[in-house]
Amino acid sequence: MQISLSAQHVTKRYGGVTALSDGTLAVASGEVVALVGANGSGKSTLSKIITGVVTPDGGELILDGQPVTFAHPHAARARGITAVYQELSLIPDMSIAENIWLTHEPLHFGLPVNRRATLDRTRGLLDQFAGVIPVLDPETPVKDLTPDAKQIVEILKTFSLDPRFIILDEATASLDSQQVNRLFDLIEQWKRDGRAIVFVSHRMEEVFRIADRIVVMRNGQTVGDLVHAGASEAAVVALMTGESADADAALAAHRDDTHVNGTGLAAVRLQVRTLTSQTLRDVSFDVHDGELLGLGGLRGQGQEDILLAVFGAIRHGGAIEISGRPVQWKHPKDAVDAGVAYVPGDRNTQGLLAIRSILENLQLPSWAKYGFPLRTSAATRDAGQAATDLSIVMAGLEAPVNSLSGGNAQKVVIGKWLLRNPRILLLNDPTKGVDVGAKAEIYRLLGELRQAGTAIVFYSSDDAELLGLCDRVLVLHDGVIRAELVRGDSLTRSNLIAASVGASHGSIQ
Amino acid sequence: MSRMTLQRILRRNPYLFTLGLLLVLLAINWMLQPNLFETRVLNGNFRTFVPLMILAVGQTFVVIGGGIDLSVGAILSMVTAILVTNLAPDTGPGGFLLIVGLGCLAGMAAGALNGFAVAILRLQPIVTTYATSFIFSGLALWVLPRPGGTVPKLLSQFYRRETPLGLPLGIYIALALVLAWWLLRSTRYGRYLFAVGGQPDAAYATGVPVNWIRFSTYVLSGLIAALAGVALSLGTSSGDPRIGDSFTLDSVVAVVLGGTRLSGGQGGVFGSILGVIVLGIIRNIISFANVPNWWQTLVDALIIVVALAAPGLVRLLRRNR
Repeated sequence: MQISLSAQHVTKRYGGVTALSDGTLAVASGEVVALVGANGSGKSTLSKIITGVVTPDGGELILDGQPVTFAHPHAARARGITAVYQELSLIPDMSIAENIWLTHEPLHFGLPVNRRATLDRTRGLLDQFAGVIPVLDPETPVKDLTPDAKQIVEILKTFSLDPRFIILDEATASLDSQQVNRLFDLIEQWKRDGRAIVFVSHRMEEVFRIADRIVVMRNGQTVGDLVHAGASEAAVVALMTGESADADAALAAHRDDTHVNGTGLAAVRLQVRTLTSQTLRDVSFDVHDGELLGLGGLRGQGQEDILLAVFGAIRHGGAIEISGRPVQWKHPKDAVDAGVAYVPGDRNTQGLLAIRSILENLQLPSWAKYGFPLRTSAATRDAGQAATDLSIVMAGLEAPVNSLSGGNAQKVVIGKWLLRNPRILLLNDPTKGVDVGAKAEIYRLLGELRQAGTAIVFYSSDDAELLGLCDRVLVLHDGVIRAELVRGDSLTRSNLIAASVGASHGSIQ
Repeated sequence: MSRMTLQRILRRNPYLFTLGLLLVLLAINWMLQPNLFETRVLNGNFRTFVPLMILAVGQTFVVIGGGIDLSVGAILSMVTAILVTNLAPDTGPGGFLLIVGLGCLAGMAAGALNGFAVAILRLQPIVTTYATSFIFSGLALWVLPRPGGTVPKLLSQFYRRETPLGLPLGIYIALALVLAWWLLRSTRYGRYLFAVGGQPDAAYATGVPVNWIRFSTYVLSGLIAALAGVALSLGTSSGDPRIGDSFTLDSVVAVVLGGTRLSGGQGGVFGSILGVIVLGIIRNIISFANVPNWWQTLVDALIIVVALAAPGLVRLLRRNR
């Protein structure tokens, strides 16, 4: 088996946001290349371009010396290029065997599916993980499996294609250490078979165990290609984080440290005790008036559940107190009435009424105070004032909100809550897909809100923001708080990254 | 039997509930109509079930594939109109096959229009097929402005009277449908159908030709509606351009009763056929119990609403526990 594949200066834009500005990666037979980078650095986009899921805007893919384009995943697969995706590509109602062999089922004389061969071969594949997962009946529906078993089925599904080139995109995230060991044994075997492997991961320890080379991405660019033997973990982390002094300085400029930490001085506004949900286990913390509390960690470790629980939008256990009074909200409306505001993660579907005007979007939570019939002139005046305060760049208040750029649209999402003067503001990754200028505006806004005494809980997938803006950062991993990092003490980039990847309390200075 | 195994069997064979319901209804029907199990009566009953049985098979395909086809009744009317205006009492077997072929092509063309709008233009299946149903109804009225027409006498007599081995012809047709389904289910196409209905994005990422599969379900449904039209014409010996109107809702109800999930990805033809028989028996009971026949529509509608509401109700019950 022989293969060489390289992506050269590949680019991809989504609307006004550049997801990938220079993706470069080369892999050949018998090689494991680790692809690393912080959240949103372009790893996933680059992987999807190579496997034909996403069409690039520019750059070149070269397979075995020839330029190629893949119109859809099937075209890439036909050339032996496959991926194990982070968001699983399994069909919940179909069985393990049906899922693994979908599109390449063993057939009887070319037409009916050979059920016995399908089941036998599935058992053969499952045997590769014998001992580290319970014995599974190949006819079990996938929806009945545990997350680790689903991930393993996903890996086996890819491997059943006998691919020449495999991308493992965060494939170890839900596996335990024994399962990871078994996977690594398999990868060694795949190398000997002459396959090429790309290993995308956040976990440094795993990267250094398995990779021959390490390709580092940052802000949509490939910024380093290191040979394992000569690379140190510190060097890789430095490349990942970029130690971009200018960016940090820009963030620091928006912090007003004369206000000190809020902690200990102001009253406790929000108290959360032993919060549990589907993903959270026993999470407790306080937020003070005028404090900016950050939530960090890898994506999907329970940060969103914390925000949604405090906003009364999901079912949860544990106790929540606002200014010392216990609350038990059944619906987000109760939370809104108590002065809590939530800026959701997906502004297009959860934050905005896309085709309605900026005015309507800004006033949506506030119409009640304009009486009946609505005093629209007063509403327009207030909304206009808010738009000016937020310096929203727009054609007018009557323009539809989807005519705005990502950054300005996000300001509308935040602005609609500011009109209600919230006491507690919950933000779910508010600067995702927002341009630099608008980011600065949002930081300035957060600073002003802190001054005014608003308690802010802020989840961000951008580590630089957490480091630059927050008074304290809670780092989540697997639904528990791994570390509490305090400004001026333990809040450092290396501690943040170490806690994100699940390092124990002891190793955090 | 442990609770887990029972749940598992029910999940694999969701029509078991309907089968139980059928037995109860049959008992009631039998009490009201003691000659129910005589061959002649059974044959007559099955003959009235056949068109809807065939139609429900097509509807099952579309629903499993994640869509719905509200134009099957209109396609059936259109094909019936085409058949009875072109056939004569003395049309031979060759001519008959030719005209049936023409009807099937018309049904497939209608299905292709639906498929194109839903799979390629990405329109909402409910709205699209409801709208196209008016095109097909209009065509039916254009071809056959008022009820009438004829079918070959010999064929229609054969269809109405024949009872091989003392069993109604309808039973053989039902068995043939189940067998055809079973064969199709065990091909790659069958797997794709369930994958597309179950999780289209995952199916796409795996390399399943999602659009093509969706398109094909509507073409198949159109073809099958045409075959249902053939059966209906033979059964009634004449045509009516509005005859299919009531069939559309019934086909959806039969699919739901058969345990096929309306959101797609789960179900089968056997259950739908049971569903058709249940509907037919309910109709019998209503006519023998001397209650007005609008009850039938009410029962149909209740079945759909309950089926749609069931997942939500279950969730509510769990939450309040």
